[in-house]
Amino acid sequence: MIDAPRVELWAILPVLMLFGGGLIALLASGFARRAAQAPFALFTLAALAAAAASALWLWNRETTTALEGMVSIDRLAVVATLALCGIGAFGAYLGFHYFERDDFRRNEFYALLLFALGGMALLVAAADLIVVFLAVEVLSLALYVMTALTFRRGPTEAAMKYFLLGAFASAFLLYGVAMSYGASATTSVQGLARALTGVGGSQPLALVGALLLVVGLGFKVSLVPFHMWTPDVYQGAPSPVTAFMSAATKVAVFVAMVRVLDVAFGSLAWDLAPAIAVLSAGSMILGSVLAIAQRDVKRMLAYSSVAQAGFILSSFVSPEREGIAAALFYLISYSAAVVGAFGVVMLISGGIREQTGFERFRGLGRRQPVLAALLSVFLLSLAGIPPTAGFVAKVLVFGAATSAGYWPLVLIGALASVAGAFFYLRVIALMAMQEPRGVDIADPSPLPRLVLAVPAVTVVVLGIVPGVIVPLLQEAGVLTW
Amino acid sequence: MLTEYLPIVAMAVLAVAFGVASLVVSRMFRPHRPNPVKLSPYECGNDPVRLPRGERFSVKFYVVAMLFIIFDIEIIFLFPWAVRFRQLGLFGLVEMAFFIGLVFVAYIYVWRAGGLDWATSVEAPADADLASDSPRDPMAAADEELAAAMHDAEVAGAR
Amino acid sequence: MIRLPLVLMFSALLFSAGVYGVLARRNAVMVLMAIELMLNAVNVNLVAFSSSLHQMSGQVFALFIIAVAAAEVGIGLAIVILLFRTRESINVDEVNLLKW
Repeated sequence: MIDAPRVELWAILPVLMLFGGGLIALLASGFARRAAQAPFALFTLAALAAAAASALWLWNRETTTALEGMVSIDRLAVVATLALCGIGAFGAYLGFHYFERDDFRRNEFYALLLFALGGMALLVAAADLIVVFLAVEVLSLALYVMTALTFRRGPTEAAMKYFLLGAFASAFLLYGVAMSYGASATTSVQGLARALTGVGGSQPLALVGALLLVVGLGFKVSLVPFHMWTPDVYQGAPSPVTAFMSAATKVAVFVAMVRVLDVAFGSLAWDLAPAIAVLSAGSMILGSVLAIAQRDVKRMLAYSSVAQAGFILSSFVSPEREGIAAALFYLISYSAAVVGAFGVVMLISGGIREQTGFERFRGLGRRQPVLAALLSVFLLSLAGIPPTAGFVAKVLVFGAATSAGYWPLVLIGALASVAGAFFYLRVIALMAMQEPRGVDIADPSPLPRLVLAVPAVTVVVLGIVPGVIVPLLQEAGVLTW
Repeated sequence: MLTEYLPIVAMAVLAVAFGVASLVVSRMFRPHRPNPVKLSPYECGNDPVRLPRGERFSVKFYVVAMLFIIFDIEIIFLFPWAVRFRQLGLFGLVEMAFFIGLVFVAYIYVWRAGGLDWATSVEAPADADLASDSPRDPMAAADEELAAAMHDAEVAGAR
Repeated sequence: MIRLPLVLMFSALLFSAGVYGVLARRNAVMVLMAIELMLNAVNVNLVAFSSSLHQMSGQVFALFIIAVAAAEVGIGLAIVILLFRTRESINVDEVNLLKW
């Protein structure tokens, strides 16, 4: 008789809420294929609220890991899950508005969104490489389909490219997992850490495995040598999907990277930090430089997100509590700004046949002052200009890197920020200074403007009083093992 | 040592013998009256337009392949469970019932979404004006014309 | 008994063949097959480690990889089909429009 393992399902309650909601939404969309989508959107928001509530309930748990060491229960996972639920809510609303405006019934969108979020919520808690792999695959497969969801040619080609390169990257991730399994005889992240220090197994094999693991995860957050898919996919995907995936994927995968790097590499931080610094510097430089050359706002934001990934990664060179808190703050402020920015782009681009070239933004300040103001706030935050959260985030991240002694990295980051300020401010200038041309195709409805004011207010409030969440994030910066 | 494999060998021999025996028996008893019409490839009573070899498969088969792969592969989770069924006991049974339930949800979705209907599975969705306005490069347009022409030829050949 | 290094070399070769296939092919279905080759190289690796370590979790992982690979193929085929609907052609062996 094989003993039944302890099934501590409460430990993954937020994940179960999301997956359960996704299954119900999937069944409902099968039976009501042409039904109105408002009930689906409301149901999705309810499922997200339930997941967020159950994540909060886990905040004060004493246990460290559950389900035979497969998932860890700590405040890092709780904070990340809450952020993911918030992003998901905006993604669901933006998607609702996007499809509703063109009367385009695609109710599977909500099921896919919940599945993707479930995978992400699992990823931020994963303490075993099997769970890391499954979670990454669940979120990626859902995102591939969401990219192609409008059935149009551009999105479909983007999905094809995203899918092939994503599957290619997950093969590398798996090869890394296989190597670390061979090195440590276990699939747990802790086992990898032990093997890396040479305690329990083959050290070179573990190092190869860990590096391949970073390649696989680095692809998902579009760090520089692995960023080739980002511009095409961000441009090709429907804007609400881009808003959702650019923010949520980064939160989930970076938190997973915090876990892997902090636990597995904590003991040889001095060995791995230079490699991280190179990846980070490459992403900051290349992302900022290539963004300058773009003539399409979505494509420009895609390259900017490559640069932002580099900024976030630069805090990883210090495996201290401050580094993790800085990364979390950066992720939250980046998410608010990028969800808002793609949301505004969605309203301006005029329906499913998105037109996002720079000419659409010419003179927007005259025609659509509210949208132009909102977009300006988001772009200022992405650029890291003082009264916004982006500035505080950059200060925190560079502070963490400086305290670890990586001042050349901070110097590169500062230069990249200056280059970045140029292309963000150019769009703002385009909206404010130029005369409008052509017909106005922007969406006139007031509700999305109101909803998009929420991330804008968040960005400004976090920029003025970052103290409201920083202590919370520092508490979350402790991993329990 | 090797005698452990005897049941497998016996099973393999039986399987081959059954296949051969059915073919031989049916050849012995079936009527055999060929004529040219029966021997030609079936194409709605017309003379065949071209040889079947090199023919392309309809995209419908890809839908079937896709669904088959997904539902077929679930067996790999059932197999280890079946091997250790008694040892896993009630816990294993409940877990497996849960797993099958999840697969069933996907199956119901596929059924309701029309994935199992042979006739409609390749129809373009009515609400999507597919690619009607997206910019195309001339090469792709030429490809499409060629494909459309070939499709027309196929339809004409079939008629 | 096959020695572990030989199996690992075989799997590394298989993986490299897959990587070559992904980089050299322009047909989406072919690229998909090359990716499957890479995943199966990983499976060989896991099972070899599992047998040499006398420990089961590698084989369990291999089962998960097989299942996820099937899901991936399913979605890949779905996207290929979609691509061909938007090109108003039903022949899947013409996917050559990937540029990267």
